[in-house]
Amino acid sequence: MLLPLPRLLRGARARPTEGVSAAPGETRALTEVALYVLPPAVALITAAVVWELWVRAADVPTYIVPAPSVVLDRFFAGIGFFAKHGAITLAEALAGFALGAGVAIAGASLMAHSRVLERSLFPLAVLVKVTPIVAVAPLFVIWFGFGSFPKVLIAALITFFPVLVNGLTGLRSVKPEAHEFFRSVNASNMQTYWKLRLPGSLPYLFAAFRICVPLAVIGAVVGEWFSGDRGLGSVIIVAHNNLDMPTLFAAILTLAILGVGLTVLTWQLERRVLFWHESNITN
Amino acid sequence: MTAFAHISVRGLTHVFADRRRTLRALSGVDLAVGRGEFVSVIGASGAGKTTLLRAIGGLLRPTSGAILVDGVLPAEAQRRKTIGFVFQEPALLPWRTVIENIRLPIEMNSRGSEARHAEPERLLTAVGLADFRDYHPHQLSGGMKQRVALARALAFDPSVLLMDEPLGALDEMTRTVMRYELLRLWEQSRKTVIFVTHSIPEAVLLSDRVVVMSSQPGRVVDDVAIALPRPRHADVERSQRFFAYADRIMDSLAKGSALAPAAAQAAAGG
Repeated sequence: MLLPLPRLLRGARARPTEGVSAAPGETRALTEVALYVLPPAVALITAAVVWELWVRAADVPTYIVPAPSVVLDRFFAGIGFFAKHGAITLAEALAGFALGAGVAIAGASLMAHSRVLERSLFPLAVLVKVTPIVAVAPLFVIWFGFGSFPKVLIAALITFFPVLVNGLTGLRSVKPEAHEFFRSVNASNMQTYWKLRLPGSLPYLFAAFRICVPLAVIGAVVGEWFSGDRGLGSVIIVAHNNLDMPTLFAAILTLAILGVGLTVLTWQLERRVLFWHESNITN
Repeated sequence: MTAFAHISVRGLTHVFADRRRTLRALSGVDLAVGRGEFVSVIGASGAGKTTLLRAIGGLLRPTSGAILVDGVLPAEAQRRKTIGFVFQEPALLPWRTVIENIRLPIEMNSRGSEARHAEPERLLTAVGLADFRDYHPHQLSGGMKQRVALARALAFDPSVLLMDEPLGALDEMTRTVMRYELLRLWEQSRKTVIFVTHSIPEAVLLSDRVVVMSSQPGRVVDDVAIALPRPRHADVERSQRFFAYADRIMDSLAKGSALAPAAAQAAAGG
């Protein structure tokens, strides 16, 4: 379900060198719909139908497993409710992602310039990484209260490490020839950083972003489990306590939609930013 | 060595050393290049040609010896933007368009050095890429990329151009075309050029002088003045004198190399 989408997007937007007329592109987009969207859609619908039939035939109680039709009913009946809480979780996840990625890129930039800094700071980063999020989440509630901030912080924490590691690798993986050229034109360290190292690290950073965007959503949900009455995490906890399975499943559905949406957005952004990178050149 | 040399190298020795071994890359190299002269440096792999070029360009501090470029030390010449570099790998920035790549060195104008530079659009036309102004490197062929690298090296309007096998990564057809392109560009601008190559015909065709180096340690074993008339065209490559120069250089390469016949053959083949 997730993988085929970028292929579809790729087909829809022609590269500047090709795509003389619109017609072949359209035909190809249609072909790609048939090839990449139809099979997973069929699989998904089949799975839902089997699930529905099983629940009805075996008479599974709704408080154990609700039928897909019941979940969809609940979802559409309360669409405003799920949208509201989904938006809160989304905002926390994105804020946390921005914070975590920002601090990680700044940290990676410092470490890339100095081995001493790397040796001092990197163990700290590892310590942050190996500490289970579920262990620190209750602490954050005590320290930062019941508002959004502890959730943002947990999302940031989860984002931090992959971005740091990839950023550091990316900033260090400058082609020697390019570096030599920058030296030959007497570039300063700052010029080398902004014009060569940072743009060159973008493929590595985006690889981390692809991993971290869904992780940030998980971080926000975990944070919401522990405190507060807002967001999909708290909706799930409340529904669970009430054995309200349709609401719980509808909340999960909302999270799945969020996850797919964010992933597709990240892919699209990556394709636009990294149009020059090997991974996006399809000729 | 004359007092008027644009580039002068005296007693240049460079030793690469790490814990396990030392490698004597250059040993007592003397070289003087006049203003506006095109000098090729030829030699087998490991003859220290690249090391010599990097030392002249201020990218490497030699173990001993004196280098002056335009009357100053290489680092100072580099700061004054006297030197343009073309490497074997074009090393363009893939996220920048052709024109943005050519502009790159101009953006590096550090404070203090006056913004003297060539017009990027004019350079673009000079290397025949006017139609590819807004293309990105991944849309260009190898020869086109190297043209961009050449234009980029000329962006400061440097008086010295150091080229390290700039045509080495190209296929034979493109390489032949690019030789004449280079010849034409140089005959218009008459910059001081040091051109490192493995190819004897290339060296003879382009140069006013060909310096032959032996390997390990790198020493100058011959210095051949090429008195072919300019401007040079394709027919010069079929002349008797052309072959005489090529023979002499091949002999010098053979004499100067421990792996004599193999190295000379490799050079002749390039």
